[in-house]
Amino acid sequence: MKFLFLPAIILTLGLLAAIVPQFTDCASDGLSITLANGKTIPMKCHWSARAEIAVAVPILGIALGSAFSRRKETVRILSMLGVLLGVFVILVPTTLIGVCGTPGMTCNTTLRPAMIAVGSLIIAASLGMLAYNEFRGREEI
Amino acid sequence: MSFGALVLRNIGAAGFRSAVILACVALVAGFALFTALVTEGSDQSLSKAKQRLGADILVVPKGSESRVQTALLSGRPTTAWMPKENLGKIAQISGVQRASAQLFLASLSNASCCAVSEMFMLVFDPATDFTLQPWLEHELGGPLKLGEVVGGTHVFVPEGDDFIMLYGYFLTLKATLEATGTGLDQTMFMAMDTARDMARISLSRAEKPLEIPENSITAVLVKTADGERHAVARRIQQDLPGVSVLERPDLFQEFGQRINVLTKGFFAVLAVSWAFATLTVGLVFSISANERRREIGVMRALGSPRHFALRSLLAEAALLAGLGAALGLVLTYCGVLLFHDLLASALDIYFLLPSLADLGILLGQILALSTASVAISTSLPAFRMSRTESVSLMRT
Repeated sequence: MKFLFLPAIILTLGLLAAIVPQFTDCASDGLSITLANGKTIPMKCHWSARAEIAVAVPILGIALGSAFSRRKETVRILSMLGVLLGVFVILVPTTLIGVCGTPGMTCNTTLRPAMIAVGSLIIAASLGMLAYNEFRGREEI
Repeated sequence: MSFGALVLRNIGAAGFRSAVILACVALVAGFALFTALVTEGSDQSLSKAKQRLGADILVVPKGSESRVQTALLSGRPTTAWMPKENLGKIAQISGVQRASAQLFLASLSNASCCAVSEMFMLVFDPATDFTLQPWLEHELGGPLKLGEVVGGTHVFVPEGDDFIMLYGYFLTLKATLEATGTGLDQTMFMAMDTARDMARISLSRAEKPLEIPENSITAVLVKTADGERHAVARRIQQDLPGVSVLERPDLFQEFGQRINVLTKGFFAVLAVSWAFATLTVGLVFSISANERRREIGVMRALGSPRHFALRSLLAEAALLAGLGAALGLVLTYCGVLLFHDLLASALDIYFLLPSLADLGILLGQILALSTASVAISTSLPAFRMSRTESVSLMRT
């Protein structure tokens, strides 16, 4: 029997990691930084949102790859990559790029916690897939 | 096969039934935790905000009471002015022990002169203040100097800077106050001389100057003699017709009422969902017990004691309830922890999360209650099964 449940979950989470930040950064609220010369530039969270797309695309690839792959080795590597990318989903808005400083802004109240939750679930689902892969026979994957 | 292994195998064999019970218990336990966190946290938040204000009576210009309370609770800036001479008049009223004036100011919105947008600034007079000054003396060893400020827990110096710039004026953040869970956490506190200096500098350096009307104040905080609060409030209201007097218990009443309405709503939904979940679990177990009549009958015929079936069913129920409740509690707490600010703004209330010790007690109580509820709801079918003779069990 083909096991599609966890890849489907990872696919959904990957889509969430790509889409949610685009609607929860400060730019989506119409906020930007006004420089002394009057020019406006996007806030930090906007770049976090963009970076999440770059992290989410390989996650979608992992989900599709593990859904269609029959080789135990391939699923093992894809699961490990899933864990790693899940960690990056969390690190982008918390450490690597970050979000804006003011606690009440949408990026702080929604983008960052949502990415921590999505990243944690991607890690959990990837670990689940890894465990399933290790404990089941090759033909079942 | 050991008793534990049998219980686990029974749970695993009926995957869908176990999942339904797990989900029911997880949902109800999670909602119970959410309700407890919001209601207890908002009460705590409200009492901390009142404590931070530290006055028995708050006197504000007539008509501004709602705006002032909203500003203090939400941190959304507001301005309201009354004559400074009111302070002297209030200080003269019998029963008033101490009286101190405050100014409410706001930073500019999205201005390049300012590191933060629309911050609420609360200005106090170090000579008369009795709310913040004792804390400053204790924590900083003295009053705030010119250009120095303290902030709520969410006030911070921007990354890469050494100062907070407001109205083109550089402010040094000396300390941050303990969280209250309200807008006071994003409020900046400064002394009167710093505010006046900032207003002076803003004339040449800010996009829009900071205006502080001469001989005007926003609020007067009053400390009264013991048991005199209500009488003093009445006297102030009689002597100064242009002001509104808010007594400590009446402060943030609108917020308190909102908490009450939410609490009642949450508890009503919780009671209904708890009853519904208990009934569902009881029903599912009743069906499951009926399905296993023959199996239990055979076990009894082979010599297993009468109470074995009862114990087995109760152990299954307790294990599923414990696991479900633990899952619901962990997921709910993680969710509330992550989305605390979003929830607060969506529900339009402020709430503090409990300390670890309080959280431990709360989790223990909900876990015990969930397990007990499921055990009670399953005890009837389990007890009935254990009382039936093995022959009639095998016949059906």
